[in-house]
Amino acid sequence: MDLTGGFGARSGGAGPCREAIGLESLHLGDEFRQLVTTLPPDNAGGSFTALLELPSTQAVELLHFTDSSSSQAAVTAIGGDIAPPLHSFGGTLTFPSNPVLLERAARFSVIATEQQNGNVSGETPTSSVPSNSSANLDRVKTEPAETDSAVEKQVPSPNQTNRSGKRKDFEKKVKSSTKKNKSSEENEKLPYVHVRARRGQATDSHSLAERARREKINARMKLLQELVPGCDKIQGTALVLDEIINHVQSLQRQVEMLSMRLAAVNPRIDFNLDTILASENGSLMDGSFSGTAMQLAWPHQAIETEQSFHHHRQLQPPPPQQWPFEGLNQPVWGREEDQTHGNDHSNLMAVSENVMVDSANLHPNQVKMEL
Amino acid sequence: MASSDKTINTDVPEKDVFAIHFLQSLSNLTTQNPFNSPDTTNYRARKIKKAAYVSMAKAAGGSSRLWSRALLGRAAKENNKIVRFARRKRKVTWKISSKRRSDQRAPEATDRLRNLVPGGGTMETSKLMEETAHYIKCLSMQVKVMQCLVDGLSPK
Repeated sequence: MDLTGGFGARSGGAGPCREAIGLESLHLGDEFRQLVTTLPPDNAGGSFTALLELPSTQAVELLHFTDSSSSQAAVTAIGGDIAPPLHSFGGTLTFPSNPVLLERAARFSVIATEQQNGNVSGETPTSSVPSNSSANLDRVKTEPAETDSAVEKQVPSPNQTNRSGKRKDFEKKVKSSTKKNKSSEENEKLPYVHVRARRGQATDSHSLAERARREKINARMKLLQELVPGCDKIQGTALVLDEIINHVQSLQRQVEMLSMRLAAVNPRIDFNLDTILASENGSLMDGSFSGTAMQLAWPHQAIETEQSFHHHRQLQPPPPQQWPFEGLNQPVWGREEDQTHGNDHSNLMAVSENVMVDSANLHPNQVKMEL
Repeated sequence: MASSDKTINTDVPEKDVFAIHFLQSLSNLTTQNPFNSPDTTNYRARKIKKAAYVSMAKAAGGSSRLWSRALLGRAAKENNKIVRFARRKRKVTWKISSKRRSDQRAPEATDRLRNLVPGGGTMETSKLMEETAHYIKCLSMQVKVMQCLVDGLSPK
């Protein structure tokens, strides 16, 4: 039975409560008595709190509550620590709005009544227990529970991880939504979410969504600031935006300027091989040439002429300053350049081969050289 | 050129991808109108500029970016080609209604940005910023490529 398993797991938690309530006052069934007696006699406060996953203050409070309940002489106690909190807390205890938990709690109290139908060992009649538990169930949704742990530890361990996880989620949610919050400590004890806003801010869903949206925009603005040079020193979003707009406009103007220069430089829009060579060598020097880029660029035409290839290799314009010239290539190209720098120009201008083909031939070799 | 932010992805391909696309478009240009077009520098410049933008949009990721899609759509419209990409559902209504209402105010920074970035008219502000970041990266890459070309081509 899962009850037995759960009780065994929570031995530490049951210890002090059991002591507080007193085993003698309990009239338990045989099996329950066995369970209770097998529980370890005493527990240090540290392990108790560790078991409950509670900060020590809450545990102390819990103990306090259970101590006070012992005077009421728990009637229907299972393991000595469930029912007393259940009906003695009454107005103070609230359970998390977990239907499974509630059902279990109800079941425990029901079982307790079954066990002790004939026993009149306390002030509260047995019939009051179900009503109490139901009343408590009603009170679940309204009252924050400072002793949610009481209910939690009563639940068998397979559920416990769920519950504690959920509580942690609640806490996380609550914590994340309360940054500058003077009542943050209270929130941590709450089992479910009262989303506390920051000081002086509303909590309705609209403003929350607004806040999330604003945070998104601010994050992206930061990204843009890093991108645009000279924007991190500026304070204020408006000026940063202006700077970004200026940057975009300047880039677009640069494109236009360069396209005009390109049109002017080349009298014919007849891009032949040396242009390909120039640019592609530069790009190759700059970074690694990806195979995928090759595949998508070059169609599969296999016109290979060794002469054209030879021409390409020889015509190697000196790369502009911004390209780091790799040491591996330099001696090779440099030598060839010295030899045949000027004479093949005219040949190349006349050559009107397919752009794609020659570059396809070129790249594998160049890549090999670089590697 | 990977971005450092792990939630917002503004990766941009390497320089050679841009170079290849640009050169492809340029060679297409040359094969288009060999002899029956006015050969003025301005006309060629405009053609080259359009080719540059289109190739940039293609290199930067075709239809995976809103601005590139808008650019390519615009270019296709100019060529009287109908090119349509699969559109995702866009949250348009809220933004547009707010813009109409406040049309009288001076063009704000975000509005100016919308005018600059292609396709920025109907984007949310956060999406606009993402697209702007990617657009800036691609633009600077394209500028580098073109600069290299010009330097390589210019007579020494």
